[in-house]
Amino acid sequence: MADLGRMIATKQVSPIEVVRAHLDRIAALDGTLRAFITVCADAALEAARAAESELMAGRPVGPLHGVPWAPKDLYSTKGVRTTGGSKILADSVPAADATVVARLARAGAIVLGKLNMHEFAYGPEGINAHYGDTRNPWSTDAHRIAGGSSSGSGAAVAAGLVPGSLGSDTGGSIRIPASLCGITGLKPTYGRASRTGVLPLAWSMDHVGPMTRSARDCALMLAAIAGYDPADPTTSVLPVPDYGAALTGEVKGLRVGLLRAHFTDVATPEVKAAIEAAAKKLEGAGAVVDEVNLKEVVHVATASTAIVAAEALAYHAAWMRSRPQDYQADVRERLRLGAFVTGAHYVRSQQVRALLTREVDEVLARRDVLLAPATPLAAPVLGERETALGDGASAVRAALLRCARPFNFSGHPACAAPCGFTAGGLPIGLQVVGRPFDEATVLRVVDAYQRMTDWHTRRPVA
Amino acid sequence: MLARMEISVEMLKRTAALAGFDWSEAELEPIRPAVENLLEALARLEQVPLGDIEPTTQYRVI
Repeated sequence: MADLGRMIATKQVSPIEVVRAHLDRIAALDGTLRAFITVCADAALEAARAAESELMAGRPVGPLHGVPWAPKDLYSTKGVRTTGGSKILADSVPAADATVVARLARAGAIVLGKLNMHEFAYGPEGINAHYGDTRNPWSTDAHRIAGGSSSGSGAAVAAGLVPGSLGSDTGGSIRIPASLCGITGLKPTYGRASRTGVLPLAWSMDHVGPMTRSARDCALMLAAIAGYDPADPTTSVLPVPDYGAALTGEVKGLRVGLLRAHFTDVATPEVKAAIEAAAKKLEGAGAVVDEVNLKEVVHVATASTAIVAAEALAYHAAWMRSRPQDYQADVRERLRLGAFVTGAHYVRSQQVRALLTREVDEVLARRDVLLAPATPLAAPVLGERETALGDGASAVRAALLRCARPFNFSGHPACAAPCGFTAGGLPIGLQVVGRPFDEATVLRVVDAYQRMTDWHTRRPVA
Repeated sequence: MLARMEISVEMLKRTAALAGFDWSEAELEPIRPAVENLLEALARLEQVPLGDIEPTTQYRVI
C-alpha cells in the first residue's frame, strides 16, 4: 500500500490503472478463492477517476490517496450491502459508513468490495455456508482453509486481489487468517480504533485492525483509522503516535520474551522451529531475548468461551428466536451455548480475565514485547476436525484459537506476520505482543524482522 | 476432581425456555456434550483463587 500510494502520488501510475488491475485479478481468481462477497467495480472505478482528477488538479494528497482496499463484510458501507457473511443480513444496506471506513475514505483509499468471513465472525475456520468457503491461496488444490473469521481478508491480501483490508478480531480473527495466509495482521489495543458501524460478535472482546502484506502497510492503515471516536465510548483519547516514524529497523536493546508453555512449546515441530528461529534472528540484531510463561493462560479458553457465548447470544437473541434456521449449523450451535452461561459464570470469567490481564501487564513491565506463534499449526484441510499439538490431540478450532485468544482477553496489541513455511509450502505465523497502546513498538519489531527476512514478500502461485 | 456433570436434553430444553428460547430436543441434543464440557470447565473456574480481584469492566480506556 505504501509503495502504491507513493507511485500514485508521484504520478508513476494512475489510480484507475491500479483499480482496474485489481478488478481483473479478482475476476480471474475469486471464482476459486471465494474471498469476496460483493465487488464494487463501478463505484471503485468512479472513485479512482475522482482520485486521478484531484491529483491532476494538483491538490495535496495523502499516502493512501487512490489506493484500493476492501473491508471484511461486517463493516458498514454506505449504500453497499453489509451481510456479516449471513443470510439474515443478505439485503442489509447501511445508510452510513463505519467510522473507520469513513476515515479511510477521507484518506483517499478506495473500496473495491466486501470480503467473505465466517458467518457473523463466529468461527476461526473462515467457512461460510451462504457465500462459499474461502480457500487458502497457498493450497495449490484449494482444499485448505484461509482461517477466520476474516477469511476473505486473509486470502484476498495473500493472493494480491487487494493490497489491504480491515478485519475484526474477537478471538484471533485477524491474526489467524494472517498466519494461515502468510500476511501481516494487527489487532490493536482494545480502545485504539473505533468499532462504530462494525457488526459485533462480543462487544468486550471485539477489535478492528488492518491486514496487509507488511508492518509498514499496517502502520499506514492504523494511522488512518486510530483514535478517539465519540460514537464509540470504548475508544481512548490517547493521542495517536506517528507509527511510520516508529519503524526505525532497530531492535538493539529491546527486551523480548519468548512465550514457552501453552504457546511455542505446544506448536507443531515446524512452527516451533520457525518461532525459535525468529527469536534468534531478533537476538542476532541486538534484542535481549528471554523465555517466559503465563500461568493464568490455562483459564482463557473456558472464560473467553463463556464471555463470547453470552455476549454473542445477547446480540443475536431476537434472530435466534425467530429464524434460527437461517444460521449456518456451527454458528447456530455456538450461539445456543450462550443460553447456558449464567450471570455468575459471566462475572467469574471477567474476574479471570482481569487476572490474566494483570499477569500480562506484569510480564511486559520487564519486557518490551512478547513472541509466540500466531497459530500453533499451519492451514488445516477444509473439514478437518482434529489435529495433534505438542501436548496431545486438539480440536482444530481450539488449536487455531489457542495462541491468539489470550490477547483478546487481555486487550494487548498483537501482530501476526509470516516467519517461515512448512515443508508442504504453507505459511507459518509469528505473533508479537506489546504493551497497551504501544502498537508502535509492536510494528517496529515486526518491521525490523521483515527488513531482515523475505517471508512477507513471498506470494502464492496463482 | 469434580464429578462428571450429566445434563439431560430435557434440562437443556427447560433452561433454554427460561431464557426465552423455544428450542426442540432435537435441536438441543447435538450441543449437549458441549454444554456439559463448558459447565464442567466453568465449575473448575470456581476453584481459581481470585482474592479480591474485580471483574473486568473497563478496558484500558484512558
